[in-house]
Amino acid sequence: MVEEKRILYEHLDVPDINTFDVFRQYDGYKGFEKAIAEYQPEEIAKMVLDSGLKGRGGAGFSTGEKWSFVPRDIEPRYLCCNADESEPGTFSNRYVLEKNPHLLIEGILICCYAMGIETTYVYIRGEFTLGKKMLDAAIKEAYEQGYLGEDIRGTGLNVNIYTHPGAGAYICGEETGLIESLEGKRGQPRNKPPFPAVEGVFRKPTVVQNVETLCNLPFIVSNGVEWYTQMGPTYADTRFDPPKPDANTGTKLYCISGDVNEPGVYELELGLTCTELIEVAGGLRGEEVKAVIPGGSSAPILTHYELDTRLDFTSLTLAKSMLGSGGIIVMNETRNIVDCLLNIMKFYAHESCGQCTPCRWGTPWVRDIVQRIADGNGRQSTITRPKFGIAENGRWGDTGETEEIYEDLDLLESVANNIANVDTMTWNTICVFGIAVSWPAVSYMRKFRPEFEAAIRESKLVTLPVAEATVPPEENYAYQQRFVPKEFADL
Amino acid sequence: MSDELIQIETPFAFNEENQREFDKLIGRYPIKEAAMLPTLHLAQRQAGYITPAVMKYVAEQLEVSVMKVKDVVTFYPMFFEEPVGEYVIRVCHTLPCALRDCKEVLDHLKAKLDTDVASETNLAKGTTADGKFTLMKVECLASCDVAPVIMINDDLYKNLTPEKVDEVLNNL
Ligand SMILES: Cc1cc2nc3c(=O)[nH]c(=O)nc-3n(C[C@H](O)[C@H](O)[C@H](O)COP(=O)(O)O)c2cc1C
Ligand code: SF4
Ligand code: FES
Repeated sequence: MVEEKRILYEHLDVPDINTFDVFRQYDGYKGFEKAIAEYQPEEIAKMVLDSGLKGRGGAGFSTGEKWSFVPRDIEPRYLCCNADESEPGTFSNRYVLEKNPHLLIEGILICCYAMGIETTYVYIRGEFTLGKKMLDAAIKEAYEQGYLGEDIRGTGLNVNIYTHPGAGAYICGEETGLIESLEGKRGQPRNKPPFPAVEGVFRKPTVVQNVETLCNLPFIVSNGVEWYTQMGPTYADTRFDPPKPDANTGTKLYCISGDVNEPGVYELELGLTCTELIEVAGGLRGEEVKAVIPGGSSAPILTHYELDTRLDFTSLTLAKSMLGSGGIIVMNETRNIVDCLLNIMKFYAHESCGQCTPCRWGTPWVRDIVQRIADGNGRQSTITRPKFGIAENGRWGDTGETEEIYEDLDLLESVANNIANVDTMTWNTICVFGIAVSWPAVSYMRKFRPEFEAAIRESKLVTLPVAEATVPPEENYAYQQRFVPKEFADL
Repeated sequence: MSDELIQIETPFAFNEENQREFDKLIGRYPIKEAAMLPTLHLAQRQAGYITPAVMKYVAEQLEVSVMKVKDVVTFYPMFFEEPVGEYVIRVCHTLPCALRDCKEVLDHLKAKLDTDVASETNLAKGTTADGKFTLMKVECLASCDVAPVIMINDDLYKNLTPEKVDEVLNNL
């Protein structure tokens, strides 16, 4: 069985670790002290790049690379720490804020030192009242101890951290939505480019980083790049010549919820499989796994055929899904996928910021279609049509068979794909919220089509046994779209 | 909406403590407008909900138009434009909580408080006749490991069952 590897969470349960004194006893601020004593800012940035650290907030973009886009000659520059954590199924940042806030402050200090940043805003979602209180108290202590403010530890470094409460809007987790919200406006995402690294909050270069990403920095500095890169798999991306290393280094705070016996946050090296994670989380609650959402509700669903998928950035991208925020939601054989999709679509319909027409109208439309199917009013045509697929001659074409037409399923796919097309990965919207809507909608429907068809045919929700509900990989367009994993050999 | 058109019944101003808090806030940002969300939170805590008078006051303090404040208030679900109960009960109903029977908790609360669930445009619908409770549904509260959860004002309650809900309400 896979062992937990606690690094960020190692001291989480130490009593009073939220106070400066106890945090110091457990080597707190040592990473920051090492950074200012032994390294130049550029060296820290280089270390972070070499460590292969990828953003833990959702996009999984290389942190070092993001830092390299920030123009060093424009002052002031800002750091925005994204503590908006509202992706359904994600809850790891909350524990850091509530239990070990000094770790976040240390991460922020290292980032500020490396990037020459003096002002940091921590955007905390409005519901995290306890988290904000704990972080505010820790910030106050850090000022008193001379780890924040002017001329920190006699190095001439100035850093101020301010917490900024959100007010219940999911879209403020999107980095440009967060920036708009921070500026005191509606949290409506901006068109990109310019990216925040170039023009962010108050139209100045801004680094936006998730809480967990920042919490990795003290350990990278303390223990070195070599130590860090030994954790997690590195693949060779053979689409490049010579092959480019594709790092999935470090640990991840996997948040697992739903039908497992011991839901919670488990810190593990990147790269374990779904099956292993379910085992770590006390095993499945129920008889059989029906589906797993691997990266927060925005991620395409995985079926029981795909439980050997490794939960890291590369493997999940290859499986046409994503690690996202690392929120894993497990569903057992008693769950109805139509019902689950309805729940998620209600969420998105509620949270669209309303700027783009395809998203503003399309998302409630998708919700209404799923609602209709769930209510037993799904539309089915009385005629049939020729079935296309792999024909006798081995090519794509008319198979000579006919298929029934489920109007609502065609409509669902068409509406979703017109918000954002999941096959071509192009979106007709300002932000990738569009993808976050159509990805679940289309993947649930394609992979669990029999359950959707049954609901329409029988005019009520029908929960089919797992084997019947799932479309096998060889018959499914959704799986066939996978890249060939052979392209990525183990390095 | 121009300023003259707003009917102000009771004017609003920060009390001394909140004024001090506000003065601190405003120094954190290079532009005053950026203090909008924390300021509105402060004002809502003092006034109970965001009245036209509050919007006008906040607009003056941040040197923006009332329209801009209204624009923000209507965007964020945590700002109320109508009175709410003394205790605001937020029931999470997103997927992980739904997989752990949050519906049972919600139905129990509805029956026990004898009220419907508030909608964003109609808070009165979810407020009890005595004005003590407002019941509303919210999206994931980032505590799915201890689902189902509810929040009552600033406090989170975990792993709920109808029995535990009774206990929580009795101890308020
Ligand atoms: C709709 C949407 C919601 C998001 N919500 C969050 C969130 O709650 N927390 C977060 O850290 N990142 C969230 N992100 C990702 C951010 O846009 C951004 O990529 C991230 O904060 C960058 O930090 P990282 O590189 O450290 O991950 C969201 C993105 C989108 C498109
Ligand atoms: S895609 Fe949706 S959430 Fe994103 S900017 Fe457009 S309307 Fe807003
Ligand atoms: S779904 Fe209820 S806390 Fe996440």
